This record gives sequence, structure tokens and C-alpha cells, in this order.
Amino acid sequence: MRRGRAGAVARALRGGLARRRVQTLVIGLVVTISTGACVLALGLVVVSNAPFDNAFAAQHGAHLMATIDSGKATTAQLAASTRLPQVTAAAGPHPEVTITPQLPGPPGSGGQFTGPPLTLVGRASPGGPLDDLTLRQGRWAQRPGEIVLSSDFQFGLPPGAQITAVGVPGRPRLTVVGIASSINQSADGWVVPREIAALRARGAPPTVQMLYRFASASTAAAIRADVAALNRALPPGAVTATQSYLAVKLQESSGIAPIVPFVVAFGVIGLVLSVLIVVNVISGAVVAGYRRIGILKSIGFTPGQVVAAYAGQVMVPALAGCLAGVVLGNLLSVPLLSQTATVYGVGALMVPAWVDIGVPVAMLCLAGLAAAAPAVRGGRLSAVQAIATGRAPVQGHGYAAHRLLGKLRLPRPVTIGLAAPLARPTRTAVTLAAILLGATAVTFAAGLSASLTRVANGLSHSKSEPVQVYLASSPGGPAGPRGPSKAGAATSAAVQQRTIEAALRAQPGTLRYVAEADEQVSVAGLSKEVPVTAFRGNASWTGYDLISGRWFNGPGEVDVPTNFLTVTGKAIGDTVTMNFRGNDITVRIVGEVFDPGNRGLALLTDWQTLASAGRGLAPAVYDVGLRPGTSPAAYASALSTALGRDYPVSVNGNDPFVLTLIGLIGTLTLLLAVVAGLGVLNTVVLHTRERVHDLGIFKAVGMTPRQTIAMVICWVAGVGLAAGAIAVPAGMALHAYILPAMASAAGTGLPASYLNVYRPAELALLALAGLVIAAAGAMLPAGWAAGTRTASALRAE
Amino acid sequence: MDALIRLSEVTKRYDNGGRPAVDRVRLDVAPGEAVAVMGPSGSGKSTLLNLIAGLDRPTSGTVTVAGRRIDTLSETGVARFRRQQVGMIFQFFNLLDDLTVADNVLLPAQLAGVRRAQARARADELLAALRIERHRDAYPGRLSGGERQRVAIARALVNRPALLLADEPTGALDTATGEEIGELLIDLNRTGQSLVLVTHNPDLAARYASRTVQLVDGRIASDASTGALGAWR
Repeated sequence: MRRGRAGAVARALRGGLARRRVQTLVIGLVVTISTGACVLALGLVVVSNAPFDNAFAAQHGAHLMATIDSGKATTAQLAASTRLPQVTAAAGPHPEVTITPQLPGPPGSGGQFTGPPLTLVGRASPGGPLDDLTLRQGRWAQRPGEIVLSSDFQFGLPPGAQITAVGVPGRPRLTVVGIASSINQSADGWVVPREIAALRARGAPPTVQMLYRFASASTAAAIRADVAALNRALPPGAVTATQSYLAVKLQESSGIAPIVPFVVAFGVIGLVLSVLIVVNVISGAVVAGYRRIGILKSIGFTPGQVVAAYAGQVMVPALAGCLAGVVLGNLLSVPLLSQTATVYGVGALMVPAWVDIGVPVAMLCLAGLAAAAPAVRGGRLSAVQAIATGRAPVQGHGYAAHRLLGKLRLPRPVTIGLAAPLARPTRTAVTLAAILLGATAVTFAAGLSASLTRVANGLSHSKSEPVQVYLASSPGGPAGPRGPSKAGAATSAAVQQRTIEAALRAQPGTLRYVAEADEQVSVAGLSKEVPVTAFRGNASWTGYDLISGRWFNGPGEVDVPTNFLTVTGKAIGDTVTMNFRGNDITVRIVGEVFDPGNRGLALLTDWQTLASAGRGLAPAVYDVGLRPGTSPAAYASALSTALGRDYPVSVNGNDPFVLTLIGLIGTLTLLLAVVAGLGVLNTVVLHTRERVHDLGIFKAVGMTPRQTIAMVICWVAGVGLAAGAIAVPAGMALHAYILPAMASAAGTGLPASYLNVYRPAELALLALAGLVIAAAGAMLPAGWAAGTRTASALRAE
Repeated sequence: MDALIRLSEVTKRYDNGGRPAVDRVRLDVAPGEAVAVMGPSGSGKSTLLNLIAGLDRPTSGTVTVAGRRIDTLSETGVARFRRQQVGMIFQFFNLLDDLTVADNVLLPAQLAGVRRAQARARADELLAALRIERHRDAYPGRLSGGERQRVAIARALVNRPALLLADEPTGALDTATGEEIGELLIDLNRTGQSLVLVTHNPDLAARYASRTVQLVDGRIASDASTGALGAWR
């Protein structure tokens, strides 16, 4: 008997699923995309909030890296250090060496330069009990002569590039075979262990790297205590250097912080929208089945069986959607988190397991609640009431709208369609909210992308000074970013300048250029030296966007980034004293510029400000502005050919960090718009089913398929237009709130031009976003309605 | 005189291999005729009406109404044809509850793009002729069955169609109201309106039609003049 009852419920459930294929599919799709969007958004939010911590745990980061003189500490002593009571895990010893590398110059330059010292560690494989390395490109080193570079290496050499160890017998050459990242930034590169000895300069002490995790390491004080214990466990002087993970975390977090506000904003929009749509879709599906519930009851189904059959009818596709959504969310997350991990500078990021489990469970519970409430209500109704409720639309709504709109001189199908939403005010309100959220996301994303593009241009100066030409450094002069070369040894700075300027004047694409000197100064109140850039000539065009104040007019004036003002406590109009080559120079701050590099600590000034304080000030680089229509790459190639290999020429490109963010914004916005569109599709499908008989009447009295489509689209077009009109100011407000929050987290202000990105024509288009989402969601069911056989529609009850 | 309606070997099947709902029917209806289509439930009466109205397509055969092959028209073409040439009256009225009586009557004219003033004048004329002008701003849900059917008749006539099709027009009405509606239909036919009505009631057929076509299992079993309306032609 019980099996028979269960069989009846199962048959009723199967029948409902088969008959309502469209609804089943819509529920499945909405839940899939909503779950996927929630997994992606929540995963990004969680990861953004603690990316370093998440990556540190995932990659078995070490609390402490210690460089140890293996001539002073024996292998046994190193092993004993791993058994200290404070130590919970250890790895090593890994042989370590520091080399002076000769590196290839920029592509096309053909030159080489000496780079800063590189710390290399010998590891047989990227894995290990601690500091699990993540291989990003290529492969691991398998033999001597191969090197895997860190992704943090400032010069970004690709696989295949060659590095020569200078000052080492034989000048061994290493070929880059892979790029990897370390959560601990434990080395600049890795080689096979037996390579290390060959890279050590004569007389340099042998060192090894040890990695430790401690029971207590959450604060700098705890780390200091752990280091003290390590020093006591090893011979005096054996530990030559240590690096705490907290220093790395601090460095990474300041780069990550700007991303958090916008990811949170998108995450919240995505979560709310998904919840709204899922509840709307599922509860609407149950209510639409009231008539069927009534029929089931009339043939003997109990209320409990009805609830089971009917709630099950929506839970089956919802369950499938949840499972598919987790897969979708993780698939979407993989490339995005991989890029984000690169952006964040951490090894690898994954959606946390609790998000993968929690989101589908929560979505399923939500679906269950959304289905249960109306299913229970339907189960409690008598058969007659259920049939009557399912058959009759809500009376009393929308009549006034029909009368008013009927007076407009618009095609009748349009006015009938526009008035229809008012017959179902609750459903219309939910649809409006869904489209509003989707359209707000579109408006917000458009502004954010435009602002971030300006940020990217402001960071790279790629629009204003797309090309830079470097001087070869002369002996005793500043090393500069490219380091000394053979030419620097033989050619004076003056000759180099004349050579470069002549070449620039000869290039047809040259619009303007300015020489800049890059020096370091100490500033009163700051513990470390601060970079200062002195321009010889008008440099107001070089792309430093003003936040407030003005560009310097002459010597004695400086422009500074926001954080300089914050850290020094100065304001525009104040003076600051800097020391350059032993000479104190007092300058007046006249402007605040967007320049977050070096944590926003820098000064920009006129050439004479520094030249007056000391002889030998020489430019390090020429910034070049191009004529409109000139290709930077072609110009750089021609200039490089003219100047020869001794003068590196580089092309400024936008930071991939910002490009990644813009891609992320686009993906999230598309997902949200699709979910909103699916919500509209469901609304229109429900409405079409409820009004199928009316559709038959319309067609019977002569409504053509095109008029039917117009009418159905107008069911949601008015709602879409209204949502779009509200979404524009809402999206702009969100943009005006989020962008300064992002900038504040990065420790910088923003030029007004970075915020005022919405143009009137653009706003007019964005206002149509709601209409586009609504129309897109309604197209398919409109087509179905137009194609419905009139006779069949008239027979429907 | 050319037939207003010509069905030539029309068959309609809903299932492959099943019994056809309409089976090789040949039928001509002249302009101005009032024809009753009768038969038991499932005989194909409503299917036949739907085929004539273009609400459905035949599986085989041809359907010509007012000189046009409607079985070959596109959905757009048949919708345009219907609003110009055919007025439909249904057993359960099929009015739109969201629209007032006047808006229901105006709808076919508005869909056909008739000028506002012209459409309103025609609607007012019909509401007056059918004695329901006082209900013009009321909603169908508040009207009696007879009043609703009058609204449906007004809607069916607003574009001056060549042909009026009625599917059990008095089936949902009480006897007295049904007779009123029947008289209305007779009056319309007297003015020259061609009429095809489906009914299962032989008395109705005898009173309101000059010719009765009997359908049994989708086939015409008989096609005879009733003589009822012929007396006053």
C-alpha cells in the first residue's frame, strides 16, 4: 500500500516534470547560474578578504625563512632545529646562493644589462612539506643550466631567456625553463640542488635555506621569540638572515586592498539577485500549478502527497541546478582566480571548500522554502479552491491601467502589453527588482571599467608617454633601471643626451620629449629615502593626473602623491625639506598627483630644484610623446634601430593587473545580467501560461504573430524601462561610493576625471539596459506565444 | 454565384494513424446562407469551424473562404484574413476580462489599424444595435450571459466580416436568453450576413438555419435544407 502511494506521488512528479519542460528547464538554468554566480562571487569575496591567508594555508607557507651558514651549522644541528618544541613543521636544508646576473635588455634592444642580485635556491621539485611552489609557466628545472624564475622577479623574463652569472668561474649561463610563485617569496629563482655550488663565487660562504612553521606565529613579537629560539639552537652567527611571512603578508595586502570593495559590491549584488530570482521562479512555478494540485486532490491525493509531488517537481531541477552551478562556479573561478592570484601576488587561489558546499546547500534550502510555502498552501486548499485559484487570475488589478493606456495613440498590442504587469503587482515588483539589480550592475560596471581604464593609463602613462629611451649609465653615475653597460663606460652623459635628442628629433612620429633624472632624497620625517623625479623642461603632459592643486611651474616647487601628504602630515601649500647629496633643499608642495607607485611616496619637480644643489645631475631616461596615429611599437623599433643596442627603448603598456580587473568586472556583470534575463523569461513564461486562453482570443480576433510578440515583450518592457531609469542613478551612486573606497584602500586619492566618466550619451544608452534585459528575457516566450496554435490556446482553461 | 466557403476533400488528423477528426469533407456555402453544422460530441463540428476560420490547418484538402485559399496562408496572413473577413462567436463568449465592453468590441478594429474615430463610431453603432450601450464601460465579468454574448457578437461584427462563425452560441445560456441570441442571429442573416453555426440541438438548427449539415465521425452524413429561414427570403 505504502509503495503504491509513493508510486502515485512519483508518477505525479514525473508527469509534472515532463509536462512542464520549459519551467523545469528555466528552474534548472536559473538555479545553475545563480549558484555559479554565488560560488564565484562569494569565493572572490572570501578570497579577497584574506587572499594571503587562504593562499598561505593552501600552499603550506612557512612562518619563517632562515638563511643559515652551513659552514657553521652542521646537518645534525639543522635537523635538531626542526625538532624544537616551537616548531610544528620544517623543510630544508635547501642550498642557497646569491648571484649577480647579466640579463637581456628589452625586446628588440639586443642589449644586456647587469641586474640586481638574485637569490637562488636549489630544489629538486616545486612541492614540499612547506612553501609549496606553484608553477605558472613552463616546467621545473631538471638539470644544471636551467632556472625557474619567480613570478615576482621585477624584470619578467619569459621562458627561453638566458641569464649569465657574473663574477663566477666560467660565467655559467642559465636558461629560464619555467616561472613559479612562492607564497613566501622564498627566492628569486630555483635551480637543481647540484647547480648551487657552481654558482657560488670564490670565497663566498656556503648557505642553506631552512623553512619553519611555529605553534605561535601570529604576531611580530611571536616571530621574534621563535627566531630567538632558533638562534639559541644553532651555533652563534649561523643564522645570517631571516624573513618573516608577516612582512610578505603586509606587502601583499596593501596591493590587494583596492580590489576588495568592488568585488564585495558585485558579490552582494549577485547574491541578492540570485536569491530574488530563485524565490520568484520557484514560488511562481508552484503557484502556476495550483490547478493541477486541485486535480490531484480531486482524485484522492492527500495534502502531504500533493506537497511532496509539487515541491518535488521544482526541487528536482533545483537540485540538478545546484550541482551544475557548483561546477560552473568553479570552472569560472579557475581562470579568474588564477589571474587574481597573479594580481594578488600569491601562489594560487581556489574557491574555499566551505563555499562549494555551503552555497549549493543554502540555494537548495532556499529553493525548498520557496517551493514549500506555496505548496503547503496549495495542499491545504480544497480541490475546488485550488482549481479556481489556479484558473482565475487575480481580479481587480490593472483595469485602470488598461483604460488609461488604451487612450494613448500607440498600437493596441503595445498598450495592452504595457498594462498587463499591473494585474500581478507582486510578481511585477519582483521582476522590477531583478531587472533593476541587473541594470544597476551594468551601469556600475560601465563606470568602473571606464574609471579603471583611466587608472591604468594614469599608472602606466601609456597614453601620454608611450615610449621611453634610457641612457646607458656612466661609471660612478646612478645605475638606473637598466644598469651600466659597456657604452656607459666609454660615452659621457652629455654625448649620450645629444645622441638621443638628435635621434628623437629625426623620428617623424616624435611630438615632444622631456628628459628626467631619477634620484633618491631623504625627507624630514621619513625613515627611508624617497624617489624624486626631476624634469628638464615642460613635463605637465607626461601623464601625472592632478588630484588637487597644480603642476609645478619652476624650481622650488614639487608635486607629490596622496600618501606622501598622509605620511608627512603636509598639505598643498606647505613646505618640505629634502636632502639631496648632502644639501638641504626646501620646496613647496603645489599639487597632489595620482602616482601610487612606491606606496605613494615620491616627489616630482623641476630640474633646477636638484641641479642647484649639486653637480653631475644627469638624466636617466627620456619620456617621449608621439604624434596622433603613430604606433608606439613601430616608433620604438625605428628609434631602437637608429640609436643602436646601447640605448634601451621601451614601450609603456597598461598594467595587466587592471586589465584583469576589467575582465573580472565584465564576467560578473554578464552573469548577473543573464540571471536577471532568466528571471524575466520565467515571469513571461508564467504569464504566457496563465494568459494562454487570452492569447487564443487575441489571435482569434486577428492578432498577427508580430503583434503577439510586441504585446508579450511589452508585458515587461515598461518594467524594464522603469528599472533602467532607476538603475542609472543607482549604478552611478554605487560607482561614486565604491571607487573612492577602492582608492582609499590603496592609499591614494583620485583625480576628478577618474570619477566623472559617465557621458550623457552613454547614460542614455545605459538607461536602456533594463529594457534590453527585459526584452532579451521575453523574446523566447514571445516567440512561443506567437507560434501557439489558436485552436489549442482557445481550448486551454 | 461563387461559394463564400468551399471545402474540398478536407481532412484533419490530430494523431498519425488515428481516426481523423474531419474526413474528406466537401462543403460549399453560398453568400448570405445560414448553415447549421450538427452532430454528436466528437463528430468534428468545432474542428470544421476552426478550419473555416483558419484557427487550425487541414492535414489535407483545401479551404477557400471569400475567394482565398486560407490553408496556405502564413500565420500572419490568416490572422489578417480573419480580422477582415471572419467574425467568431463562441459558446463561452471568450471576452477579455481586463478590457471594458467597448474595448473588447473595438479590439479587432484596432488590430486591423482602423482609424480611431471610425472604429469608435462603428463600435457605438453596434452597441446601440445590440442594446448594450449602457454597458460600454463595464467589464464582462459583471454582465449576464446574454449580455456577454451580445458583446461577443458586436466584436465579431465590428470589421463588417463577410462571414460569421458561431460555435454553440447559445450553449451556455438559459433558454430564454438563448432564444434572444438566436433571434439576433436570424436578424443578422436577414440583412445578408452569411452565417455558419455549430450546434448539437436540432431545434436550434431548424429555427436559425436554412440548411443543416450533419457530421458523423468527421464525415458529412447529410446536407439538407431545413426550410425554416427560407420562408421569408
